[in-house]
Amino acid sequence: MPSDHNQPQESLPTSKVARAARFAKTGLKVGANYVQHYAKRAVGADSAMADLHQANAEELYGTLSEMKGSVLKVAQMLAMEKNLLPPAYAEQFRQAQYQTPPLSGPLVVKAFRDAFGRSPQEVFDEFDMSARQAASIGQVHAARKLGKALAVKVQYPGVGASIRSDIAMVKPVALRIMGLKEETLRPYLAEVEARLLEETDYKLELSRAQAIAAKCGHLPHLQFPSYYPALSAARILTMDWLPGQHLQEFQATSPSQQVRNQLGQALWDFYMYQLRELRQLHADPHPGNFLFSDTEGGTVGVLDFGCVKDVPALEQQQFLALLAPDTLGDPARLEALLTEAHVLRPTDPPALRAMYLRTLRQSLELVGRPFRQATFDFGDPAYLKSLYALGDDLMQDEQLKQQREPRGSAHFVYLNRTYVGLFSLLTELGAVVQTGA
Amino acid sequence: MEASALKAAYLDYVRRHGHAPKTVFAFADAQGISESEFYRAYASFGALDRELWADFGRDALTQASQEPAWQGYGAREKLLAFYYTLLEILKNNRSYALLALGRSQRFRPAVIPRVLSKFEDEFKRFVAELLREGHGTGEVARRPMLEDNYGRLFLRQLQFILLFFVRDESANFERTDAAVEKAVTLSFDLVGRNTLDSAFDFGRFLLHKHE
Repeated sequence: MPSDHNQPQESLPTSKVARAARFAKTGLKVGANYVQHYAKRAVGADSAMADLHQANAEELYGTLSEMKGSVLKVAQMLAMEKNLLPPAYAEQFRQAQYQTPPLSGPLVVKAFRDAFGRSPQEVFDEFDMSARQAASIGQVHAARKLGKALAVKVQYPGVGASIRSDIAMVKPVALRIMGLKEETLRPYLAEVEARLLEETDYKLELSRAQAIAAKCGHLPHLQFPSYYPALSAARILTMDWLPGQHLQEFQATSPSQQVRNQLGQALWDFYMYQLRELRQLHADPHPGNFLFSDTEGGTVGVLDFGCVKDVPALEQQQFLALLAPDTLGDPARLEALLTEAHVLRPTDPPALRAMYLRTLRQSLELVGRPFRQATFDFGDPAYLKSLYALGDDLMQDEQLKQQREPRGSAHFVYLNRTYVGLFSLLTELGAVVQTGA
Repeated sequence: MEASALKAAYLDYVRRHGHAPKTVFAFADAQGISESEFYRAYASFGALDRELWADFGRDALTQASQEPAWQGYGAREKLLAFYYTLLEILKNNRSYALLALGRSQRFRPAVIPRVLSKFEDEFKRFVAELLREGHGTGEVARRPMLEDNYGRLFLRQLQFILLFFVRDESANFERTDAAVEKAVTLSFDLVGRNTLDSAFDFGRFLLHKHE
């Protein structure tokens, strides 16, 4: 089924029972993969464990992508925490783009009637019934009112109601297939569920978007849409239609290095400002949430404030301290910081502790590299390659493989996800960014 | 007294009391009319119930077709629009709908209440019209013999949706909306040209080869 991944979904299993049935089917197939694996080994054929993970991951992914988004999203987020998942799973989920089937015209009309008592054509001067693009849990329509071009996000009905049951369903499967313990996964799933539920609340998104836009308005080369509360509701969000293209299309126009640098800088400054000053992160740096244009030498439009992470002061301090340039050269300080962040535990045997320290030092050396230099070239293929290589090395590490439990605060799920996303945006842009404080 | 006023008074009574009036006499008397005047409009409360449901269906179709987007809709979207409008109307009359559908559900869960019979007749005509239109737009495949059963398929769908609505406990009945969306998509996937037709075609080809 892997070849179907990019196809729009044509059918969704409807009821909880039907969805549960899909899961049961996956369980069976995964079971079959194991049987094949052991059968092959019994007859002496070489069936690597990696092959098995690969087969299982594809099976699981095929199932998840048929289900409504939240399950897939949970899986994707877990995949961000790389040490939770064998590499094959992580690889499969990373490819995943969040998809929901398009809403039918009548359902869009109904959403408007529910919210405003009028049809979209009456609310706006013009309203295009065919969606322009999929949003995280709905779709975006183009509209026009009083001469203004608007983007109208309409949410799929019942998303909020099904998130809880979806997570409850994904949990046992995740536990079984990934071989994790229930109590290990619980805080992470709770964190993910909280964010997902927030994401269904467009009223909240509107107020956050306005707040963040107001606070970041002074940063150069960023553009935030205006939001229109009178034209928005719990499931409808109306904002300006921003000019610009998505990253891939924009890259296809081969923008100059200068433009790309300015865009990268704008993104970098935006995230640093959020982390350092606001302690609030636009925690979904998915390429679909940004629009790029070469206006004024490069302008980034920021969309979608559905996933905003408030970072507690303590976690912010820990995170910044870990990335600080001098931490790496001071093993005692690093160890103290990691203990404080509950990544290292006092109960860990010395060998395990040493292993964690070694691997974390390694990752920090790489991930923190941009923070230790005045300017950093994200376009440098060597850097990207060593990032990937590091991931692979960590996955190959026999000792580490046995330690598949997640460590550290659940808040780090979103911090990590944010920085992984930001770095991959910057590397794709190939931007040279002034990163030093 | 007008038949429509009688209907409204009856609906009001059932919603307030949670049951039909005990006798036609008592009801007619409360409306200030004679019992025989009631019978001139309706033979029984049952007939009145059927008329009320037929009204829901008619209103839904009228309202849905007044929607600006209606003209641009294909058969699938017209059916969706009909269902959504119907559900809006039923939401305003949910207490009555629960009584009318729930009552018979308790005794014969698999059997669809008789109160729907008139509504269903009109719904079948609407669906027949949609299917004809669907032939034109290619949304509905031509399948001699099999085709005659489509009406019943959509009738089942209507019943499924009504019962889903009756049992739905999600806020603003959003789960019913999702159910409608999926049920209609499925039904049009079934009546549209699909694997079945290709398989049938292939089978026929193989048979012909041996003649």
